[in-house]
Amino acid sequence: MSDKKAAFGQRLDAGPRGQEAWFFSLRILGGRYAFEAALVTEVVRLGPLTRLPSAPPFLTGVFTHRGEVMPVLDIAQLTGQGTVPVRPSTRAAIVHCGPWKVAVVSDGVEGLIAIPRRALEPAPAEASGMAEFLSGVAQDPLGAVAILDLPRLVEAARARAVPAGSAAA
Amino acid sequence: MSDASAEILLFQVGVNVFAAPVRDVVRIGTVRGRAAEELVTDSALGRPFSRARGIVVAASGAERTLVVDQVVGFRTVPFVDVQPLPAFAAVCIRSGALAGVVLLDEVPTPFIDLPVLLSERAALGNLAPP
Repeated sequence: MSDKKAAFGQRLDAGPRGQEAWFFSLRILGGRYAFEAALVTEVVRLGPLTRLPSAPPFLTGVFTHRGEVMPVLDIAQLTGQGTVPVRPSTRAAIVHCGPWKVAVVSDGVEGLIAIPRRALEPAPAEASGMAEFLSGVAQDPLGAVAILDLPRLVEAARARAVPAGSAAA
Repeated sequence: MSDASAEILLFQVGVNVFAAPVRDVVRIGTVRGRAAEELVTDSALGRPFSRARGIVVAASGAERTLVVDQVVGFRTVPFVDVQPLPAFAAVCIRSGALAGVVLLDEVPTPFIDLPVLLSERAALGNLAPP
């Protein structure tokens, strides 16, 4: 077993014992992407979006949700796949990744999906685009779904941004 | 600005509206007839469509004029509506001039530290430092 596959298996084994693993699935630019369901706190329809000056392209803007200002993360933009169009009907999943709370914008929300653990496969060994942040792939009745390592992706976004105050646009 | 409320100036650069503390503003006026080297026309906020108005700010020991498209007006907002940037946004933003957001009718409006904005611009060479 490769190191990557072993690590993937260990990570899944760390969760609740059972025959299925639960993920939260979004549609992004025609693809199905899922991540650990426990990261998601709620799904919201984006309110009016305010763009922030000097923000990196993947930080689409901010909006208010129940009085809280939420940053919107476009993971397609971050990984060079394109830009998720924001419309009045656009929905986002609010996720907690370590210290960060962000709204992940999507084309559509599928919601919770259960994947039999035996159906989970390690991600292909590619190191570019979205594939860089996959922890696995799987098939469910709706088709193929890519499993994202969302905490790693959010941390990569933070690391790619220039620290505050170091430059102006 | 009091403990309970903040006086803010609303202005527009391009299509975007920004807010700033009134206390940072020395005066507002036309930019006609002003020497080009006194004006900041390109900043982290973008470029104005027209050189209509100028917001004069004391920054780095000198007065500098930020050129804007429109001064929308003044507002008094509850201090609780002036909020810091969300943590993730704060670590991703390239400019230190974005001090937070002001909630206007529940819509976040970028809250700009004008002296920092103009000092950053001067540091990049758009305007010669004093």
